[in-house]
Amino acid sequence: MIYWCLFFLTVLKAVLFSTGGFGPLPSLHTDFLANGWATEKQFAEAIAIGQIAPGPNGLWVVSLTNLSGGLIGAILGAIALILPPFFILLVRKFYARVRYAPSTQGVLDGMVLVVSTFSIVVLANIFFNRSPDVILLLIAVISAALAATKRVSVNLILLVSAVAGALLLH
Amino acid sequence: METSNKALTFSLKKLFYIWFIIGITSFGGGAITQFLIQDKFIYEYRWITEEEYTTIIGIGQITPGINTLAYTILIGRKLAGFRGSVLSVLGLVIPSATITLALSAAYLSVNQYPVVQNALKAAFASIFGISIITNWRNIRPILRHGKQEGLLPLFSFLLIIVITAILYRVFNFSVILLYLIGSCAGIFIYKFIIKKKPRLPK
Repeated sequence: MIYWCLFFLTVLKAVLFSTGGFGPLPSLHTDFLANGWATEKQFAEAIAIGQIAPGPNGLWVVSLTNLSGGLIGAILGAIALILPPFFILLVRKFYARVRYAPSTQGVLDGMVLVVSTFSIVVLANIFFNRSPDVILLLIAVISAALAATKRVSVNLILLVSAVAGALLLH
Repeated sequence: METSNKALTFSLKKLFYIWFIIGITSFGGGAITQFLIQDKFIYEYRWITEEEYTTIIGIGQITPGINTLAYTILIGRKLAGFRGSVLSVLGLVIPSATITLALSAAYLSVNQYPVVQNALKAAFASIFGISIITNWRNIRPILRHGKQEGLLPLFSFLLIIVITAILYRVFNFSVILLYLIGSCAGIFIYKFIIKKKPRLPK
């Protein structure tokens, strides 16, 4: 019981203090590894599965909580993911008054810089801790280059990468 | 004519159905989901206007959690009150979370095969590459704004990035503490370094 409570509150905290699909990643990565609930490998798998599945970006959290806590974990993860955005109903009430305040813009920009930096650092951590070979490095670089052009669909990039991995990696 | 009929026939059942369809067809992440939301609610059913959607996006930026879910809640709230919010979120999340779970379960049953592990390893490598671009796109407008304001604001924003990476990677600072530091640093920059009104949306 205590485990599930802690599990739920840990996911809830990560979602509550972040924004965007990958926002909870740094916090979850720290807490799940520290508690022994997930491995680096499971993080990589959950993120990959979450990207392949339909729906908003953050559903990789459901995959992660499923891989680490089974069906109960997945349900708790989904609830923790759904609750914080309801905060928008409160924000809506005073948004008009604060939207152009320098402090609001400062908080937003500061948070975006921190979350974006985090996300890159954590994903790089997971990627390089698994000792990637030349093929994986090439896949990462080519995917980044193709995404930067905006001409190739992200789904196609992921699909071709997965097929290339299945055929070329040993 | 067909569109105006559709606009007149709003019902909770239809609201749930539309979100459900978006939930099972939005392969490709948040951008595709948002595209489908605009397509259905603004252009096909005309239940909300472009201006209302822009405001919803603005409010979503200062809300915790997944932005797309926050948009969903506000659209549902506008159309049918709190019941509409709950119904909209469930309509979007239930199918997509179920497919995510099915994919996770399928993966667990085949993950002993090296070919599956290699495919997922490569997919993750690809996501890592794409995420660098995605995060750069998030950071770029802030740095561009800093540059327009002068070297000091630009340097201050860059400092937040560098200090965040060092504090997290080297000193293992807690994530929440870093969010707080980032927010306070942002307020400081806008209050004392930029000293101008923040950029207004177009």
